[in-house]
Amino acid sequence: MLEARNISVRYGPCDVLREVSLSLSEGRMVALLGPNGAGKTTLLKALNGTLPAAEGSVVLDGRPLAELSRREAARRVAVVAQENETKFPVTVVDFVLSGRFAHGGAFGWERAEDVAVAERALAECDLEKYGSRLMNQLSGGERQRVVLARALATEAKILLLDEPTANLDLAHQAMIFRLVRGRCDAEGFAAVVITHDLNLAAEFADELILLHRGGLFAAGTAEEVLSEANIAEVFGVRSLRDANPATGKVRITPIF
Amino acid sequence: MKSDLRNSRMPSVFRVKTRQADHGDIRRPVFLVRNICAERKSRAFFDLGFGMLGLGSIEMTCCSVKRPIILLLLILAGSVLVACDRQEAELPAVAEKRVVKDDLGRAVRLPETVTRAVSLAPSITEMVFAAGAGDRLVGVTSYCDYPAAAKNIQKVGDTQSPNIEAIIAVRPQLILVSTASQLEAFATALEGQSAAVFVVDISKLDDVPDRLRRLGQIFGTGERADLAAIEIEQRIAAVERRPRPERPPRVLLQISEADLFTIGRDSFITELVERAGGASVTAEIPGGYPKLNKETALALDPEVIILSDSSDNRNPNDAMKNSSAVRSGRVYRVNADILSRPGPRLADALEQLATLFRQEPAGN
Amino acid sequence: MKRANYIFLLLIAGLAAAVAVAVSVGSESVSVFAPDEQGRAILFDIRIPRVLLGACVGASLALAGASLQALLRNPLAEPYLLGVSNGAALGTLIAFVLLGDVAGARPVLAFAGAGIATFAVYQMARSKAGMNVERLVLAGVIITTFLSSIIVLLTSLLDAARLRGYTFWLLGDLSQATYNGFYMTLAAAVAGTIVLTSQARALNLMMIGERDAFDHGVEIGRVRMIIFGMASVLVGTSVAASGSVGYVGLIVPHIVRLVVGSDNRLVVPMSAFAGAIFVVLADTVARTAIAPRELPVGAITALIGAPLFIFLLRRS
Repeated sequence: MLEARNISVRYGPCDVLREVSLSLSEGRMVALLGPNGAGKTTLLKALNGTLPAAEGSVVLDGRPLAELSRREAARRVAVVAQENETKFPVTVVDFVLSGRFAHGGAFGWERAEDVAVAERALAECDLEKYGSRLMNQLSGGERQRVVLARALATEAKILLLDEPTANLDLAHQAMIFRLVRGRCDAEGFAAVVITHDLNLAAEFADELILLHRGGLFAAGTAEEVLSEANIAEVFGVRSLRDANPATGKVRITPIF
Repeated sequence: MKSDLRNSRMPSVFRVKTRQADHGDIRRPVFLVRNICAERKSRAFFDLGFGMLGLGSIEMTCCSVKRPIILLLLILAGSVLVACDRQEAELPAVAEKRVVKDDLGRAVRLPETVTRAVSLAPSITEMVFAAGAGDRLVGVTSYCDYPAAAKNIQKVGDTQSPNIEAIIAVRPQLILVSTASQLEAFATALEGQSAAVFVVDISKLDDVPDRLRRLGQIFGTGERADLAAIEIEQRIAAVERRPRPERPPRVLLQISEADLFTIGRDSFITELVERAGGASVTAEIPGGYPKLNKETALALDPEVIILSDSSDNRNPNDAMKNSSAVRSGRVYRVNADILSRPGPRLADALEQLATLFRQEPAGN
Repeated sequence: MKRANYIFLLLIAGLAAAVAVAVSVGSESVSVFAPDEQGRAILFDIRIPRVLLGACVGASLALAGASLQALLRNPLAEPYLLGVSNGAALGTLIAFVLLGDVAGARPVLAFAGAGIATFAVYQMARSKAGMNVERLVLAGVIITTFLSSIIVLLTSLLDAARLRGYTFWLLGDLSQATYNGFYMTLAAAVAGTIVLTSQARALNLMMIGERDAFDHGVEIGRVRMIIFGMASVLVGTSVAASGSVGYVGLIVPHIVRLVVGSDNRLVVPMSAFAGAIFVVLADTVARTAIAPRELPVGAITALIGAPLFIFLLRRS
């Protein structure tokens, strides 16, 4: 569905991302790992065209992303970015409905169908009762869920999530990962998730990509990527690896 | 074009701005004035070296307001140096002072003979010339263009923003300002300096001969001033002896076309129109030069329209297109300078208006 | 959506009422229903074109303000803040001085001035990393003060008599209203309402954030050009017809947002109606408060607008 071929991204003279490749196919969930400044967010921005690739190309459903109109791209790729703020009082339901932009006509009043999609997205993110609240009155965690709900409301099959669980409590962290996983399994979605929680990545993702200093350090399954050696090299942290007794998935415990 | 009227009492944004600017700009130059006058007593105390030190420090005044006393002293020294160099030769004799009341009722101390005066309004310049003292003017405004000799006198800024440094540079004994020029603030600022500030406020026709005589006294040209005053009085009387129309025509005096400025209750032109045998339709409107609502202008239906002639006032305002005046062709242009400068040429304006008011409608 | 419809109806009724009041009062009392010949002249030649022009100018300025605020994500943004008004004013001044009474010169040069000012601000605010709002606002302030200084310079250099009207007009003055001015601003206001409302949904996203808008399929550059271009037309025609009437673009969208929220599909068209009502009423005061003299309407809008704005600012 979405493929990055050897892309490099530059801010001025410095490479922020160097020859990174990534391939995302239907039903797959990819976790993007790495320390701060490794280039995770940059890669995500390159994947939806926010940042142009200096070299290499991003291909969406067989066509170079650069050739698609913003509207076409937005119908296929949805982004959950980190925090955003507005000085204007926008209600939660209006915010989520704004995700329907790429489906609307010129004067763009929502149809009943748009409202239904938005309501479902709100419900899935545990936000049924929040519709009339104002965005700037919500807590950070609540706002993050609203942003996810808006991404779901776009009905784009490719989700790019930038630390979607950063401000969330344990229950909602798991809820969001389960939600995305469920969409991938049942509805043919594909997702790239940036996270700092290695265990959540190991638990839910099909593939893990470890970025280090703007380059691809390791990619593969949790067993392949999350070795104690890799973690020590990339994060500079000693760790212990075993298996989660409940699920049998890789479990990393940092040693302090 | 360059008339008092336009540049003075007009309710324009300019005026407000100028006023503020006056307040703001005045401080520094005023120090200089004070210093020059103090200099006469204390010149002996300063030597050349101290003076140069002072010159160097003048720049500092712009950047620093601290230690004002020290700076004041330094500026004092600097200005003494400048003043010494230039003033030595022809300092007016520190003559016996006399006290004259000006038109604001202020007691103004004047030297016995005034040989150097500055006029800050074109109307005053005309008055001083008419009073036979044109040769005493050493500074006038850039609008002062009448009589022709006024054009050759040093310009010291315009009516609204006189350049105080330029005024001081011509070393006047007397500065003549008009209240019409909104220069009270300026007058107050120069109060008590070596130059006396005298306010000449002409608010009606009969003030003209009266003020001519007063200027004659001030300048010691009483005889010529009196002759000029008598001539004007005779011309006014002659106009008033002319046969009048049975009923004074209703007159609208238009100052600008698009923005319908006109004359109100407080304008001397309103009185002028009446003395000439007309009735100003805007005579009851408060203020000097109100901006008239077009509806009212239309409803007033003037029989005569006088255009104070200037580039923005060539035709009657659209609202008057069906007025009696326009229909009967009684629309006249009058030189804006003679009409709007409260000076000796008001007699010309009076004669012209009286003639125009008696003219029969073109159509009849 | 029901509530929004009621508000629309209320605004339309309010505008009709405001126009009715404005037409029936003035410095002269005229019977609206049975005017004599002079009354007809007052109504049709003077009062009605002025009221109608006021409505269109109010609508135009409020539209420009509402859309620029959403675009720049700053509820305090205004045509003035960006220098658009000053650009238009300078354009008109140049038309005034160089071309005198050439018909049509004023609005064309006013539009050109507004457009150039907007373009200059836009260019100054752009950087390799894209456009950021703080930079844009700062650039607007710089352009505004720069243009103001040129205006001051020109007005001090030029013949005072010719500029007397201009200075009154700079404050915002509807006394020179003509039907032609009305038609011109009406065309701009109608086009502005349609064009800007058509971009309102994109503006909703832009208002949240440019990255959000981009992610959701908004062609940011195109929307920005449409908004800037349309705002230049609206401000240019208004300034050419009536000078710079202040505060309308700031106050009106603010009040509308308090009532209907931030959805630009409502805020933009409602601002047009509310702006029209505001200016029509303000000008009625300007015409009658000290009749038969009159005040520039800009003085009234500022007089009402400034305290109201402070009140709203403190409340929110």
